[in-house]
Amino acid sequence: MKTFLKYAGVAVLAISLLGSCKKSFLELNSPTNVDPGVALATEADLLIALRGAYAGLRNVDLFGRSFPIWGDIMADNSYQHTLNTNRYTLYNNFTFNTTDANALGAWTAGYSAILRANRVIAAPLPASANVDQYKGEAYAIRALIYFNLVRYFARPYTDNPSGPGVPIVLTYDPELKPGRSTVQEVYAQINDDLNKAYTMMTRYVNSSQFSKYAAKGLQAKVYLTMNDMPNAKTAALDVINNGGFTAVTAANHAGYWAGSAVTTTKLETLFEVSSDAVANLAFDALSYIYSQAGNYGDLVVNDPLYALFETTDVRRALYPMATRGGASIPTVNKYPVISGDYSDTKVLRLSEMYLIAAEASYPAEETAARDYVNYVTSRRNATAIASTGVQLYEDIITERRKELAFEGDRYLDYMRLKRDIVRGTNYPAAARNIPYSNFRRVLPIPQTELDVNPTIRPQQNAGYN
Amino acid sequence: MRKLLVVLTAVLLLTGQLLAQRSITGKVVDEKGDPIPNASVSIKGTTSGVVTNEQGNFTLTLTPNAKTLVISSVNMGTEEVAVGSQNVINVTLKLEDRALQEVVVTGYGSQKKANVTGSIASIKAADIENRPFTSIDKGIQGMVAGLQSVAGSGQPGSSQAILIRGISSINAGTGPLWVIDGIPVNSGDASRLQTTANLLSTLNPNDVESITVLKDAASQSIYGSRAANGVIVVTTKKGKAGKTVFRFDTEVGSNSTAYKNDKYRPLNSAEYFQLTQEGMVNAGYTAAQQTTTLNGLGYNGGNFSDFSWLDAVERSGAQQQYNISAQGGNDKTTFFLSGGHFYQQGTSINSQLRRTNANVRVQHKLDEKLSFNMNVNGGFANQRAPLNGGAFGNPILSSYFLLPSRPAYNADGSYNFSNLGGLHNVIALSEIDKRFLRQSSLRGTLSGEYKILPNLKFRSSYGADYNVLEEDQYNNPTHGDGAASNGRAFAYYTRYYNWVWTNTLDFDQALNRSGDLMLNAQVGYESQKSNAYFISVQSQDFPPNFNLTMPAVGSRPTTSSATISEYSFLSQFASATLNYQNRFILSGTFRRDGSSRFGANNKYGNFGSVGLAWNIEKEAFMENVDFISQLKLRSSYGINGNANIGNYDWLTLYGYGANYNQLPGSAPSNVGDSSLTWELNKPWNVGVDVSFLKGRINLTADYYIRKSEDLLLNVPLSRTSGFSSRTRNLGAMENKGIEVTINATPVRTRDFSWVVDFNFAHNTNKITSLPGGNDIADGSFIIRQGEAYRTFFLREYAGVDPANGAPLWYTGPDHAATTGTYPGAGARATLGNALPKYFGGFTNTFSYKGLTLDIQLYYNFGNYVYDSWGSYYLGSGFGATYNKVARQLDRWTAAGQTTDIPRYVYGGNNAFQSASTFYLNQGDFVRLRNLQLGYTLPKNLISKIKLTNAVVYVRGANLFTWVKDKNLPFDPEQGTTSTSNLNVFIPKTISAGINVSF
Repeated sequence: MKTFLKYAGVAVLAISLLGSCKKSFLELNSPTNVDPGVALATEADLLIALRGAYAGLRNVDLFGRSFPIWGDIMADNSYQHTLNTNRYTLYNNFTFNTTDANALGAWTAGYSAILRANRVIAAPLPASANVDQYKGEAYAIRALIYFNLVRYFARPYTDNPSGPGVPIVLTYDPELKPGRSTVQEVYAQINDDLNKAYTMMTRYVNSSQFSKYAAKGLQAKVYLTMNDMPNAKTAALDVINNGGFTAVTAANHAGYWAGSAVTTTKLETLFEVSSDAVANLAFDALSYIYSQAGNYGDLVVNDPLYALFETTDVRRALYPMATRGGASIPTVNKYPVISGDYSDTKVLRLSEMYLIAAEASYPAEETAARDYVNYVTSRRNATAIASTGVQLYEDIITERRKELAFEGDRYLDYMRLKRDIVRGTNYPAAARNIPYSNFRRVLPIPQTELDVNPTIRPQQNAGYN
Repeated sequence: MRKLLVVLTAVLLLTGQLLAQRSITGKVVDEKGDPIPNASVSIKGTTSGVVTNEQGNFTLTLTPNAKTLVISSVNMGTEEVAVGSQNVINVTLKLEDRALQEVVVTGYGSQKKANVTGSIASIKAADIENRPFTSIDKGIQGMVAGLQSVAGSGQPGSSQAILIRGISSINAGTGPLWVIDGIPVNSGDASRLQTTANLLSTLNPNDVESITVLKDAASQSIYGSRAANGVIVVTTKKGKAGKTVFRFDTEVGSNSTAYKNDKYRPLNSAEYFQLTQEGMVNAGYTAAQQTTTLNGLGYNGGNFSDFSWLDAVERSGAQQQYNISAQGGNDKTTFFLSGGHFYQQGTSINSQLRRTNANVRVQHKLDEKLSFNMNVNGGFANQRAPLNGGAFGNPILSSYFLLPSRPAYNADGSYNFSNLGGLHNVIALSEIDKRFLRQSSLRGTLSGEYKILPNLKFRSSYGADYNVLEEDQYNNPTHGDGAASNGRAFAYYTRYYNWVWTNTLDFDQALNRSGDLMLNAQVGYESQKSNAYFISVQSQDFPPNFNLTMPAVGSRPTTSSATISEYSFLSQFASATLNYQNRFILSGTFRRDGSSRFGANNKYGNFGSVGLAWNIEKEAFMENVDFISQLKLRSSYGINGNANIGNYDWLTLYGYGANYNQLPGSAPSNVGDSSLTWELNKPWNVGVDVSFLKGRINLTADYYIRKSEDLLLNVPLSRTSGFSSRTRNLGAMENKGIEVTINATPVRTRDFSWVVDFNFAHNTNKITSLPGGNDIADGSFIIRQGEAYRTFFLREYAGVDPANGAPLWYTGPDHAATTGTYPGAGARATLGNALPKYFGGFTNTFSYKGLTLDIQLYYNFGNYVYDSWGSYYLGSGFGATYNKVARQLDRWTAAGQTTDIPRYVYGGNNAFQSASTFYLNQGDFVRLRNLQLGYTLPKNLISKIKLTNAVVYVRGANLFTWVKDKNLPFDPEQGTTSTSNLNVFIPKTISAGINVSF
C-alpha cells in the first residue's frame, strides 16, 4: 500500500508534467470587446463611443420608427389601413397594455442610449475642444431621449409639473432600481443638459449630429412643451438668427424630402437620425411602413389631414394618391427611400423654429406671430394666414400639423395642449374619439420594468392595472 | 525519472514474485459440451490469466499463491474453481443472465455493469440503427428512463433538446455532455443562419456501437466540470478479429405530417370572407368600407379564388438511407470501415437533409504491452431549412396566414407576386430563394496504451472534433425578404475546432493475499480547447437574374465581419474503486477543473463523488434464493459543475459595431461579474437492480435528488441601467424523481419469444432560492421561488360573455370574479409546466422463428403546450387580414350562445388575442414511435447466395399520435419550452428496409 502511494505520487507528477500547460491557457479575452476603461481612454475613443450613442437613437422603437410613428398614429394624422401587416394595431386602436412590445422597446432602448451618453459624459478625459464638443453632443442626446420618454410615459408638464415623470439615471450602476422623478425634475435635467450642450459645443459636423444650435432648437421645443413661451421664443430666435441654417423653400422642398444623405449644407435640418446603406432597419425602417413601393405601406394619410392641403401647397405632393384595396387613398411619401441609404428620421427642422416663434408670440404680438407662421406658408405655396385672435392661434397649431405631419409631432401637441383627439371614420369605431382623460393617453411603464424594479412598481400610470 | 523506475521496479517485484511455478491445463465447454473459445481463465486476485483457444483449451502457469481460478466468457456465467493438486481442470460454463455480465463504457474506461456503483443506462447499436432519424439524439427518445429527448421541429437535421433527470439550470446550458470516443465534443446547434441545425446530424447512427447514459454522481463526476446535466458516452464501432464481414443496410420510405388537428384547418375563401364581413360590421365600418376592404382582400365581387396554401406547402417527403460496412482483422490488428448515405425530405417544402459519411477505425497491438487505436469519423450534411416563427418567408406561417383568395399562381401559371397582403408567396420563394447549410464534421481519436506492468496501464489520447458550417442565403430582389434591399445574399462560415488531450494511468491491485479486496485506480490530466471562427458576409442590390445568388454578385456589401470565440478547460482527476469479493464496491472520484469562462480568482472548481454498491445476491444467505439472480443496492452522492455559459460573460465589456454613418461606434455590451464561478450540481442517488428467474425479469429502480446551487443566473436588471440582465451566481433549484426500468421476457420458447421493455420517469422540479426571493419574468413563464422552472404564468381565460360575445378573464388566481377588460399583471396565475410529469417508453418485441414484430410506444403526461401564434389565426379578428382556422367558426354570434370563441370583430375583440390560458393546451400524448415487422431469411436459404444474414422489414415511425387535449393545434412535441413556433411539422415515416451480411 505504501509502495502504491509512493508510486501514485510519482505518477501524478509525471502526468502533470506531460500535460502541463502555460497558465495563460485559461486566460482568453473577447476578440471584439474591450474593458470600458480601454474603450474610453482617448479623445479618439470618446468620439467612437459618441457615435455609439447616436447609433442608439436609430433603434426601431426610438427614432428608427416608433417615435415618429406614435406621434401621428396615436393622433389623427395617420391610420392603419384595414389591409395591413399588423404593425402598430394596438396604437391605431388605442388598446395597448403594460406588456406592449413597442413601449418596452422604447423604454429599454431609450435608457440604453442614455447609458451610452452617460459613459461619454463621465469619461475621465481632460477638457479640450474635442472632448467638450463630444461631451456636449452627448448632453444633447441625453436631453433628447429624456424629452421623448417623459412626453410618452408621463402626463404633460402643462398638466402637473409635480406629477410622476421618468427615472433620471445619470451614472452607471447596473444594480440601481430608481423610482420616477417628477416631471419638473426631468425637465430641469433636460434644460441643464441642453445648457451644457449649448455651451460646450463649438462645431457643426453634419445634419446627423448635434450642434450648438441644434441643441438650442431642441430647447426651444422643450420650453414650448413646458408652455414657457418667452424662453421658447428666445431660443427659437437664437437658432433662426444665429444658427446659420437656411429654410427649405417651395422650389427645393421636393428635393429636400427625396434625399436620404446626411448633409453639411445646413439646409433646413437642425438634427436628424441617420440610417445609412449599411446600418439601417431594412423592412423595419420608418420608410418601409409608409412607402407603398415596399410590401407594408400599412400606415396611410387620414383624409381630414389631406384635405387641409391646398392644391398649390408643395407639401401635398408628399402625399400621393395610391391604390390600396382597390380604392385610391393619400399615402405618405415623406420618407421615400426604402433601399440603399434609407431615409433619415428628421428630428428638428428650422421651419419648426418659425412655428415655435409664431406660437410663442401669440397672443402678445399677433403680427409677429403671423409673420413667423407665414415665413413657412410662403415657402410652401400655401395661402398666407391672415386670421387674428383665437383663430390665429388655431391656424398656427394647424400649420404645425401640416408642416410637421409624419414627424412624430401631432400627438405630443395634443398632449401639451391637453386636447381631446377626434380621429374620424378611418379608425375603428371604438377608437374614433380619444379624450384627454383616456388613461392610455400616456404609455404604461412596461411590466418588465415593474417586475424587476420594486421602487417603480407602485408608480404605474393610472388606469393600467 | 530514475525515481519512477525504482518505484516501477518495486511494483513489478511486488506483483510478479517470480518464484517456483507449475502449469495447469484444461478445457472450457458450454452446457452442450461445445468448446468455448476466447474464454478468460485467470487467477483470482491477480490480473494474470490466459484465454482459451478455438478448441476451448488453455494452459496457465500458476503463481505460488494461486488458490482459485476464475473462468468466464462473454454471455456466459463465471465459474470459480479451487486449485488443488490436480494439473487438469475442465470447466462447464452456463449460459448466463446477460445483464450481469454486461460491460458498459463509463467515464474514461469501461466496467462490468454489476460492479458499477452509479446509475447508468446503455443503448445498443441494434436499437438505433437504420431508424429514419437524422441524429442519434433523436433516436434515443423513450429508450432510457429519465432521459427526455424532445424535438422542437420536424426539420431534418434539427436540434433535439435532451434533459436528463429534469432541467437543472435556468440560464446555463441544460443539455448533457456528449463524449464521442473519449472526446467531449461540441454539440448542439452551431448554425447562424439556419433556423435549426444539429452538429450530431453529421454522425451516422449506424456507426455507433453503444451509447451509455451516465445519470448520477458516481458515474458522471469524473467528467466533473461539465457533468451537471448528465453525460452521454458514445462509442463507435470496432472491428473484430476473424473473417472479414461485410454488411449492407438500406431503408427507403416517405415522410408526412405526424399530427394534424382538423380544428386548425385554415379556412377556405368563402368561410374567411363571411367572417371578415361579419367582423367589419361588428367593428362599425360602413358598407362602403366593407366593400373596399373585402375587395382588397381578394373578394372580387364574389368571384374569388380558393387556394389552399397548406396543401401546397405540405408534402410527402422522401426518406432513404444506405449503409455499408466492413470489419475484420487478426489478433494484432482489427479494422472497421463504413460508409453511409442518408436523405430525408421534411414534411413541407424547402426542408431536407442529405448526409454522406465515412468511418475508419484501426486498432493495432504491437505486443502485449503496447497498442494503438485510431479512428476518424467524417460526415457531411447538406441541409435546407425554411424560416420559422413569425418570418413572412416561413412556409408554415404562410400556410395559416395567407388568404386562400390570394393564390400562389396567376391565371397564366406564373407566380403571383402582387396583392398578397404584405405576405410572401412562399411557393415561389421556395424555388427562387436559397437557404442552405453545408455542415462537415471530422471527429477523430488517436490513442496509445502502454501496459507498464500487467496491472499498470498508461493511456494517452488525443481527440479532436472539427466542424465546419457553410451557410448560404439568397433573397431575390423582386419579391419577399430581399425586396427591401433589392436582393440580398449571405454567406456565413463557421468553424469549431475542439481538441482534447487526455493522459491517464490505470492501476489494478489486490490489496490482500486472497485477492478478495481489489483496487482499481486512475489518475489523469486533461486539457481542452475549443476555438471557433466566424466569417459573415452579406451584400445587397442584386441584378434581377435569380440564378445569381452569391454575395459576390451584390453591388453593396453590407456585412463583412469575422471574429473568433474560444474557451478552454484544464483538468486533473483521479478515481478509485474498491471491490470486496464483488459484494461490496466503493468508488470515489475527484476532479479539479479550470475554465477560461471565469475570472482570475474563480477559474478552478473541485468536484467529486462517492458511490457504494452491495451485490446482495453474492451473500451466503442468498445462496438458496434461486429466483433472484441479482439483487444490487447502490447509492452515490457528488458534486458536478456547469460552466455552460457564454465564453466572456464574466467580463465587463464595451463592444464595437454600434456604427454611425459607416464610422466606428462603441457601446457598453456586458455588465460582467468578476466573481463569477461554477454553477454546482449535487446529485444524490439510491437505486436497486433486481433480476428474477434467471434474467427473465430485470428491474432497475432509482430515486434521486439533484440540487443545483450557485446558479449561473441572468439576474434581470432595471432597464433604466441600460442593460436587461447580468449573469451572477445566485439561486438554487432541485430536481427529485424516480425512474423504473423493467425488462421482461414473458414467453420464451424455442420458436417464439415476447420481450417487454418498459421505462418510466417522474421528475419534480422546484426553484428553491432566487435573489431576494423575487420573481423573474420569463415570457409566458414565471421563475418563482417554490415553483417549478418552466411554469406557465398567464392570465386565465374565463370564456365568452354569453350576453355580448366579449372575452372574459379571471381577475385573479382565486377565480373570484371575471372581467371583460384584459386584466393586469396581478391576474396571472401559475398553471402547470412545460415539462412532463411522467414520460417513458414501452416496447414489445415478438419473435416467431424468423419474424420479429417490434412495437415501441413513447408516452408523455402532465405538461402543457402554448400556441404562440394563435392570436393571429384564432384571435377573433386580430390580424384580420390573415386567414383564420376552422375553430374560429365557433365564434359567438347571438346573445345567449355558449362558446369559448368571442365575437369576431375586425381588428380584434378587446384584447382576446393577448396571452392567456386560451392558447394553452394540455400536452399529454402517446405516440407509436416505432412499429416494425421484420423477417430474417433462413440461413440455409441465404447461405446458397453466400450470405450470412439477411433481414427484410417494414417500419412505421411516429405512425400514430394520441393526444388528450382535442384543441391541441400542433404536434405535442414543441421543445422543452413546449411552445409552438410554426416549425416544420414532425414527420411520421413509413419505410421498408433490408440488412444483409456476408
